[in-house]
Formats: sequence, structure tokens, C-alpha cells
Amino acid sequence: MRKLLRKEMRLAASPLSYLFTAFGLMFLVPGYPILCGAFFVTLGLFQSFQAAREANDIVFSALLPVAKKDVVKGKYLFVCLIEACGLILMTASVLLRMTVFSGSAVYRSNALMNANFFALAAACVIFGLFNLIFVGGFFKTAYKFARPFVIYIIVCFLVILAAEALHHVPGLEMLNAFGTDRLGLQLGLLAAGIILFLLFTLLSCRKACKRFERIDL
Amino acid sequence: MIAEVNGLVKKYPSFTLSDVSFSLDRGRITGFIGRNGAGKTTTIKSMLNLVRPDSGKVSFFGLPLSGHEAEIKQRIGYSSGTISWYPRKKIRDIVRSVKSFYEAWDDTAYRRYRDLFAIDEAKTPLQLSEGMKVKLNLLLALSHKAEVLILDEPTSGLDPFSRNELLEIFADLKNEGVAVFFSTHIISDIEKCADDILYISRGRIAAAATKEDFVRQYSEEGETLEDTMLRMEGGAAHA
Repeated sequence: MRKLLRKEMRLAASPLSYLFTAFGLMFLVPGYPILCGAFFVTLGLFQSFQAAREANDIVFSALLPVAKKDVVKGKYLFVCLIEACGLILMTASVLLRMTVFSGSAVYRSNALMNANFFALAAACVIFGLFNLIFVGGFFKTAYKFARPFVIYIIVCFLVILAAEALHHVPGLEMLNAFGTDRLGLQLGLLAAGIILFLLFTLLSCRKACKRFERIDL
Repeated sequence: MIAEVNGLVKKYPSFTLSDVSFSLDRGRITGFIGRNGAGKTTTIKSMLNLVRPDSGKVSFFGLPLSGHEAEIKQRIGYSSGTISWYPRKKIRDIVRSVKSFYEAWDDTAYRRYRDLFAIDEAKTPLQLSEGMKVKLNLLLALSHKAEVLILDEPTSGLDPFSRNELLEIFADLKNEGVAVFFSTHIISDIEKCADDILYISRGRIAAAATKEDFVRQYSEEGETLEDTMLRMEGGAAHA
């Protein structure tokens, strides 16, 4: 799998996938719907799927001495790596806002959702949904990606909207905890987000492997 | 027997590959001939698990392809005519990546064929002519000590000199015990170097024999192989 990941990184990936991980730093922007940063990371990944299709990457990979289903796993591994890079930058931003910048007026008077562990959990859910809807959808045919991407965009922005709106619902204000307030709850929500990410990704990968075996390339 | 294809069936809405069976032996060159759309590429893709047949079995080295794919692909080489992979990447980078997958990658053979085909590693596939793309694909197929070479239209797009060179390479590989299986619609290629002929017409194997037996069985007095094939194909078309 390491060789396939290296092949993904060297040959199939669009430079934009790497560059767009920097949108993880959008978690530092005050007064902005920070979860858009997660969407932009996946937008960079979409560019790699586009580049890979133009380069006949899927057939090339299927001809390498690997099992056909490993081609799918290699793609998921690359996607998860990029998402992890984005998440690392988001986590660093959240930690900075929780500690060093905790007294900053622009963050304290933030009109939109705070960068906390709940926001990170929501980013994990967005990445999981990208893997489930877009990557899984792509491997139905291994070349059509417009429809799964449009569906993913709609779902992604509904999630962003819900995440931004939830803390305005009476009783859910704690979702917007600032800094280290309600830390136990925040960490619990983050764990739930990570579990959902893993669940969506594993389910999607397993299904994509089965589908890909049946596809004529 | 180094490879065996048994009862391959693949149905498409407008085409059916019907009960294709044949075998390949070490040190033999098999020419797989048929007109465009006869089922050559579908057969080859099924042999490589790129296409999933509706029924039938493919095995290499006594192992079924299903379940032993990675192991088998280490020992076979495949080239696909003029398809270009990663058109904007440097050939050097493509080769470096491919090389890492093969346990038996042979740098000496790689350099020999690279020089013979005059491939400039600093170029990208986009900068290559159609003929040079064929050569690049062949270079990748020939550089890892493959025991079976499966080549889809390897001579199409090549100039007569390069074609001749390639047919000579086939003869050398044959002497080293490699089984060469190549599809073509250029009958003179088969005439020049094939030991066995596999003739496919409208999705069915119409004839499978050694070249000598093929001529004995199907050629009429004074006919060249090309005349025979044209007559047979004409007969099939009017059947």
C-alpha cells in the first residue's frame, strides 16, 4: 500500500490537493464560517480525481502488480492523508484560539461558530461525507464524478449550515463553548466526529472495493 | 502451459465474446488476429482482470487469476498500444514509480530497450508521437523479466524499421523462453514471427493452430496467409 500511496502522490495527485490543505488555517479567521475550510480541502482533493481521470490513472494502477481492489484502497489512503493534513492545521488553529489567542477581542466577539473541538468534529464529519458520497460515488463507474460531487456539495453546505445554526437552538448553546469551557463535552463531541469519519470512510471503501471489482475498465 | 483461457464469455449490448478458449506456451509467439471490433481487446482485458467476464476462467502459471492477481502480474508484461499514461509527467518519474512495484525490475534491460527505442526520459508522454508512445509502453512491459508478454496492437503506429526491430525483439525473447502474445490486424507481422495463430472473428475463435497447420488447413493453393485471412473474414462477414 505504501508504493500505491507514493504513486498517488507522485503521479496522480494535483498540486492543488496539497496546496488546499492550507485552507485548514481558515479556522483562524474570525467572523467567517470556518467549516468552509474543510470544504476547500475536499475541493483540492476533487482536483486530484479530475487530474487522475485525464491521466488514465485508474487503468494504469489496475495494470500494476497489485490486486484490483488495492487501487481503490490506495485512492482512499491518499484522500485520508490529505484530509489528515487539513485536520492537523485545523487542530493547530483551534489550539491557538483556545490558548494564545483566548483573550483576543475578535475571537471573543465572534458572530459565527467558535473554533473549538465541536468545530473539529464537524470537519471530521464533512471529510467522512466526502469519502462516503464523492469517493464512493466515483468508484461506481471509476470515471463519472460530476453527480457525486454535486450531491456532496449540497450535503456539505447543509452540514455547515446546521453546525453554524445548532448553537442558536435553546439548550444547545454549549456547542459554541469558547476556549477550554465545557472541555469534557467538546472532547466527547470530537470523539464522536472521528468515529463518524471512520465509519463513513470504512463503509465507503468496502463498498467501493466490491463495486470496482465488477467494473469494466 | 504458461497461460490458459477457458470458456471466456462477455456480453455487451451490441457484442458478445463467446466461449473463447486457448492456451499459451513458453518460448512461443502467438499472433492474435482479427479485424477491428472482433473481440481482441476484450479478450486481452479479460486476461488482465480489467474486464470482468460473465463466465470463463483465466489462469497463469497454473494459478487462477482471481485471488492471485498481484503475484501473477509480477510475472507478466502488458503493453497497450498508443494509450498514454500521465501525459504531463516526465517519463523518468513514471518509470521510477512503475519500477518500485516490480520485484524483478531489470535496470540493464530497461536501459538497453530505452536506448534501442531512443526514448528521452526528460520528455513527457504528451511530447511523444503515437509510435513513440507505443515504444514507451513496450519499454515498461519489457523491463521486469516478464515470463509472458501480452501486447495489444504493439506494432500499430510504428514505422517499418521499428516494427522490424520489435519483431526481432520478440524472437530474442522467445529464445529466452518468454511467451509472447500479441494482437494485431497486420497479417504480415504474424507471417514474419508468429509460431501460433489465434484468429478471432465476431467474438468467436475461428481458428487456433500453429502457423504451419493453419496454412495447411485453411490456405488454398497459391494463397498467401493474407489472402487466406481475407477470404476467411469475407466468408464470416457473409455468413
